Amino acid sequence: MDLNKRLFINIIPGNTFLDKLSGTTKVRLFIALVILLVVTWDVRIIWPALVVAIIGLVSIKPNKKLVLGLIGFVTLMNLFNLFLVWVVMPDSGADIVGASTVLFRFSERYVVTAETLWYFMVRFTKFMATFMISITFIQSITPSEMAAGLYSVKIPYKVATMVSIAFRYIPEISRDFGDIKISMQARGMELDPKKTSLFERLKQNVVILVPLIIVSFDRVGNIANAMDLRGYGRGKTRTYYSEHEETPNDRKMKVVYLLLYVAVIAVIIGRIFFPGEFEIWAPWI
Amino acid sequence: MKTEGMKISAYALQGGIRGTMKKPIIVFQDFTFRYKTQKEATLHHIDLTLYEGEKVLILGPSGCGKSTLANCINGLIPFSFKGEIQGSLKVAGIETKNASIFEISKHVGTVQQDTDAQFVGLSVGEDIAFALENRSVPRKEMLPKVERTAKIVGMEDYLGQPPFQLSGGQKQKVALAGILHDEEEVLLFDEPLAALDPAMGMTAVDLIDRIHRDQKKTVLIIEHRLEDVLYRHVDRVILMDQGRIQLDSTPDELLSTGLLKEHGIREPLYISALKNAGIKFTETTHLDNLEELDFEAYKQPILDELKASKPVEVPEPGELLLKVEHVDFAYEKRKVLDDVSFEVHRGERIAIIGKNGAGKSTMAKMLCGIIRPQKGTITMKGQNYLELSIREIGRLIGYVMQNPNQMLVKDMIIDEVRLALDLNKFDEALVKERVEETLKMCGLYSMRNWPVSALSYGQRKRVTIASILALKPDIIILDEPTAGQDYYHYTEIMNFLENLNQEFQITILFITHDMHLAIEYTDRAIVFADSRCIADDYVFRVLSNTQIIEEANLKQTSLVTLAKRVGADPESFIRHFIEREREERANGSK
Amino acid sequence: MSKEKKNIGKMLLGTWDTKTVVGVAIGAALFAVLMNYGGIRVFTNTSLTTAMIVVPIVAGLFGPLPAALVAGLGNVLADLIGGWGFWFDWSIGNFFMGLFIGLLPVYGAKIEDGIFQVKHMIGYVISVLVGNLVGFGLVTPLLTFLFYSHELTITWAQAFSAIVSNGIVEIVIGIPVLLLLAKRNAKKNNLSTED
Repeated sequence: MDLNKRLFINIIPGNTFLDKLSGTTKVRLFIALVILLVVTWDVRIIWPALVVAIIGLVSIKPNKKLVLGLIGFVTLMNLFNLFLVWVVMPDSGADIVGASTVLFRFSERYVVTAETLWYFMVRFTKFMATFMISITFIQSITPSEMAAGLYSVKIPYKVATMVSIAFRYIPEISRDFGDIKISMQARGMELDPKKTSLFERLKQNVVILVPLIIVSFDRVGNIANAMDLRGYGRGKTRTYYSEHEETPNDRKMKVVYLLLYVAVIAVIIGRIFFPGEFEIWAPWI
Repeated sequence: MKTEGMKISAYALQGGIRGTMKKPIIVFQDFTFRYKTQKEATLHHIDLTLYEGEKVLILGPSGCGKSTLANCINGLIPFSFKGEIQGSLKVAGIETKNASIFEISKHVGTVQQDTDAQFVGLSVGEDIAFALENRSVPRKEMLPKVERTAKIVGMEDYLGQPPFQLSGGQKQKVALAGILHDEEEVLLFDEPLAALDPAMGMTAVDLIDRIHRDQKKTVLIIEHRLEDVLYRHVDRVILMDQGRIQLDSTPDELLSTGLLKEHGIREPLYISALKNAGIKFTETTHLDNLEELDFEAYKQPILDELKASKPVEVPEPGELLLKVEHVDFAYEKRKVLDDVSFEVHRGERIAIIGKNGAGKSTMAKMLCGIIRPQKGTITMKGQNYLELSIREIGRLIGYVMQNPNQMLVKDMIIDEVRLALDLNKFDEALVKERVEETLKMCGLYSMRNWPVSALSYGQRKRVTIASILALKPDIIILDEPTAGQDYYHYTEIMNFLENLNQEFQITILFITHDMHLAIEYTDRAIVFADSRCIADDYVFRVLSNTQIIEEANLKQTSLVTLAKRVGADPESFIRHFIEREREERANGSK
Repeated sequence: MSKEKKNIGKMLLGTWDTKTVVGVAIGAALFAVLMNYGGIRVFTNTSLTTAMIVVPIVAGLFGPLPAALVAGLGNVLADLIGGWGFWFDWSIGNFFMGLFIGLLPVYGAKIEDGIFQVKHMIGYVISVLVGNLVGFGLVTPLLTFLFYSHELTITWAQAFSAIVSNGIVEIVIGIPVLLLLAKRNAKKNNLSTED
């Protein structure tokens, strides 16, 4: 119970529209959206994607406090980053958007142009759309569905298994980590960073890591044997218990992601064969 | 060796009647196996035939070769463990050395000892389906199959549950369901009781028995906990030691011999009690089942022996070290400790018992200062515990974790023992003195420069205890010190601890669910159930109290059953048994 | 020797049996746990992660490619349980870094057999430096550039701090940990008791 709360990904499937889609649909949809956002700088694509991302995120009823906190944190980071970009290149909009309409001037070098602001806005929304799609994806998929979804996009099932087995043992390893830390504390290790020097903290970590590594990898043989005994790796293919059959909703979303892939190809072709003079479209240019 | 041959034929004679109908399913012929990394063979010239539908217990101490035998049967040898095979082993007609593990796994399903490692799915349903997934069974066919086997083991209501919310016993049921998908004829249980508490162990033995009867499978149980397995009928017992079969017979015959002690297997307590009363077993019917055993001839000697006993004076407790008063603790809203109070005096040996989740681990964590009471007080040697830091508490109470590997950091014994002293920044002269003293106390001095990797489990345990004792705590808490150990290693660890207690007045708290440990090596038991402390009394009194046993979901010891059957008072009967065993141990060690 | 050379390709790939699959999974899980909870505070809000230590361990047990997978996958998992979004650019950078650090068995260090001498330490230090430079100095900035932005200054600055902090942890903690583990695994035969 506590563990499921602590992990950002959910182990137990939810029951909203997105949750109920199959792993295959979720993974393919996610990949399509992310690639589309990576290849485009056009707000006519980015903004609708952002709207979709927000709707998606709200629809899965996530832990509000957690998600808002995250979004706040990421927004601040981004704004700070953009500020740094402005400090380094105050007129970056000129190259990318193709004009330089000064709105405000601090000094010879430090100007605020409409194009730079537009570029920053596009960049910010592009980032936020990607970010929100990511957290929607993580919050609506279980590790098992993810394994099945990865397998559906032709990733070898052994790699997909790595993902699900890793999630299976993350709680065990966190517990061991906590236990070992505690036992070292009881033997006299001072963990309060205020009372120790950096060098000592580094040394302490050696003392905690050695048993943790040994205990963690001690498991490997037993787990592998348990899998071999149940026929893991004997076939070229595999099926997934957690991967339900296509529902009508999956079929609808299939149309959506297929269209998205077409859009991705169109954008890429457009950018290769008809490169505009400038990277970013702006309504006034 | 000659007698052995005779016993085998004796069994064949008994089995001959059944043999007319049964066909052999596992056949070892002059089978020898040596691991690649070892010089000596682990199995020597095994000749053994197991028949379809049998329920067989393969018994033996650690290192006797029983697990190796199991791994030969399920195909892990030679698939995962390489080595040299001589002779022949046929499983369902397949010569294993030429077959793939996948082929063998169609006939043999294995439930392993480590319940956590074998649960590889992220939910109950997924783990049960694992074998089917690997066979690329379409999901539509998979679902009813999973449901069916989940029902057999009684886990059908938990299909969506992740493993973190399951007990060891439930995980084991899931593992069992995962190998019941129609084809496997042989079910192999490799130390199924090792990870379970006594009540769960009984449930497991019961479930295995039911599946053996209902599903018409051949069942092989590899165990060293004889008494627990005999809770349900077993057709045949194979006793192994040193890579050879020592006896192949019925449980009745095995119990009437002296072979158990000879080969490092713990006798069922009631058998020891009967032997204590000077009873010789001539007729060997139902010795394996206390309920059906005919007691008429035994009653009198037992009562006579009991009458002759003089209870030993219980020693006065030493100074008060620890006082826990009305302590409460809750994780989020779930109460884990509810109004707990008890005292610990110097030199005591106390068993903290109760089923998993009853609050005993939380209590231990609290005593170490890792978590603090939300209500109530704890006083340690007159000091208010709340004012002490974890490090300060660490010098009063030492905590030894269950798995020694979680504690061992350094490569050399001496460095491990001094680690805590270094962490506490003691000066070099004191460190040297303490290290030497502790090493001598623990019998490790002559091995001080040995690498930790060369040590056995029991020796590692001893090093971790030494590493805690170096700080000279007044009390040490041991979490399941003997979990998964056979009788020999159990005795080795426990005798060591007993010596520490008696010679150096170290106060020891054992967190355990092993009733044998409580009976043999502790004086007092503190019993936890549903976050409350429901009993705090002499061990013999606690264990003879049926109400406490039931409330704490513990297993009734066979001594109580025996006492009731002969009409003796269970409390004095257990007390006498404990005192007699201790006396013998004391004499034995001198 | 010639036989050994022929096997370098195989050595890089590792053997892909169930043990390797599980080993990578456990390695990645450990990586993710350490990335989330195993930070060493340097100043307030700045911490060094010890997760990278897992990479050479897996390399020693299973080979360079598994090690690289642990670094890449471990980072993805850390993102998934930490909930700070997906950072493909860094995960892929990590993968390449892991590939270099994972070269351990190629230059003869065998942690599981207790072999880790001075020359292996030097090899390790070099592979850490090269791995970090390639991973975070080249791959990550390139991907960041492609994915998100148009200028590199900020990315370089981040890459630089990543290279420095990873390098410090991998060398300052990594070598003692590897050494201790190697010692723990070393086989000593003639054990004799002393008085």
